[in-house]
Amino acid sequence: MTIRPYVTSFVLQWKIGLRYRLAVLAGLVAQMWFGAISLMAYAAVYHHAPDVNAPMTLRQAMTYTWIQQSFFTLLPLGCLPAIGEAAKSGAIVYDLLRPVDLWNWWLSASLARLLGNAVPRAILLAVVAGPLAALVGLNGWSLAPPASFEAALLAVVSFVLGAFISASIVMWWNIIAARTLSPLGTYAVGTPLAVLLSGMLLPLPLYPDWARELLLLQPFAGISDIPIRLYMGMPIPGGILAALGIQCFWLLALTVIGRFWMNRTVSRMEVQGA
Amino acid sequence: MKTAAAIEVRDLRKTYQVRDGGSWRGKTREITALDGISFTVPAGEIAGFIGPNGAGKSTAIKILSGILRPTSGTVRVGDLVPWENRIAHVARIGVVFGQRTQLWWDLSVAEGLALLRDIYSVEPERFRRNRDRLAEALDLNGIMDQSVRQLSLGQRMRAEIAAALIHDPDVVILDEPTIGLDAPSKLAVRAFVRDLRRERGTTVLLTTHDMHDIEALADRVIVIGHGRILADSPFEALQATTLSERILEADFTGPPPDLFLPDGAVETERGTRCVTITFDPQRLPAPALVAHLSKLPGLGDLRIGRPAIEEIITRFYADHAS
Repeated sequence: MTIRPYVTSFVLQWKIGLRYRLAVLAGLVAQMWFGAISLMAYAAVYHHAPDVNAPMTLRQAMTYTWIQQSFFTLLPLGCLPAIGEAAKSGAIVYDLLRPVDLWNWWLSASLARLLGNAVPRAILLAVVAGPLAALVGLNGWSLAPPASFEAALLAVVSFVLGAFISASIVMWWNIIAARTLSPLGTYAVGTPLAVLLSGMLLPLPLYPDWARELLLLQPFAGISDIPIRLYMGMPIPGGILAALGIQCFWLLALTVIGRFWMNRTVSRMEVQGA
Repeated sequence: MKTAAAIEVRDLRKTYQVRDGGSWRGKTREITALDGISFTVPAGEIAGFIGPNGAGKSTAIKILSGILRPTSGTVRVGDLVPWENRIAHVARIGVVFGQRTQLWWDLSVAEGLALLRDIYSVEPERFRRNRDRLAEALDLNGIMDQSVRQLSLGQRMRAEIAAALIHDPDVVILDEPTIGLDAPSKLAVRAFVRDLRRERGTTVLLTTHDMHDIEALADRVIVIGHGRILADSPFEALQATTLSERILEADFTGPPPDLFLPDGAVETERGTRCVTITFDPQRLPAPALVAHLSKLPGLGDLRIGRPAIEEIITRFYADHAS
């Protein structure tokens, strides 16, 4: 068993992602815009209730928002477009004709697609929202640096786990697309689900007390919420190990159950037509 | 080195569950796509697989490719059961689905082939040799650097065939490889498949609706209809019986007169100004039939052709029913 085909699949999707540079730029502008609006909303809320003991400081909420915006395209918003299209057209048969492990083959493509979209945006946004914002005097609104060197290291490990969790959730959407012969349902359900549960819409630490710990235990928290908390050095119930443990648990569970489900799907798949 | 692979199919059955009405409330119903088919293709043979739409050809091809699991029956390709050893099996076969593309629209032909080299773990030396040989034989040198979306249908099909053969498969499955192609492209594809078998001893299973493909390539013809094998015989045998038949259409300026056809010809259809005659050229040569008809009053145009595959199959049913 060689790793070569999976690297190839990764590189291919990465290249295809980078081909759409204009989309990266347009997405960046949109995300800056939404980021700025959220920041103003947080500023207004925090200034009108200075006595409330919020679970995040305003500065933390702003940094959280910037990182969430940078990693918007890292979220599992639906299936991999190429797989959705292939499911619809029937070209998916060729994926089954390759001498490769189908899970790893699609996973490497899905991961490349997520990272190929997210990494260039994240770097640009980090530069604009971080040092540049600080330079023009918007220091209070900018992206704060990591809490410490250890926090930065932990965050990197956690972000990598998060990317794999996201790609594994995309795999579930891929399986659903293969079963329903259409990518549309996965976007319709996947996008609101991911935006809500990842903390993109409202940071998970700002939810009411009763929901906060529950939300930390679902898989979408592992994509960016947990890494961002580690980056900012925020306390996490159960500590750092629990946080990484939750991520590892979901990565393992999504993979094991997803593989089982995919094998069942493939063995029952009835590709239509000639 | 190369192992002589052959295809062996025994009592293969496949039923699909279909839901009527398309809603979750509809009743499920079983559709039998394959109703116990058996055949063998020895290594190095080109077998033609023909039958009308919905006969079960595609289902059989998908099972042989390892994509689909049958309801019952056994299949061996080489020494492997396709759906049980999917990865090992697909590494040794090459498949072309004429109506679908396996190359990547965004990549050039050369990039696509390089990608397949990595997927099939073809050693660099062997890859270069195969690529150059295929580019030469399929006339791809001029289009190697074009992206697949820019290719014409004929160019694309030649590239598709190269893509299916870059890893030296022992068994090649060609599903409608000439569909939609113009005459020169069809000839090029046929010549290539013939050479492939002669030079490499590749086993080929070919489905087509074009009898000329069968005539040019197949050693053996397997006719399938309603999920059953209707005939399995050497091409010459089939040609001598069923495929030899010709159809003549005669136009008249007015209502056609009585024809008084000689032995070996039968009137099969009569319109207001046209008559269709089916005849066996071995019993009644075409010139003799034409000479007979030309004596009739009011004869206009004459056209001679082959019956469509669908008609041949229909007659197979009639023969089998009796």
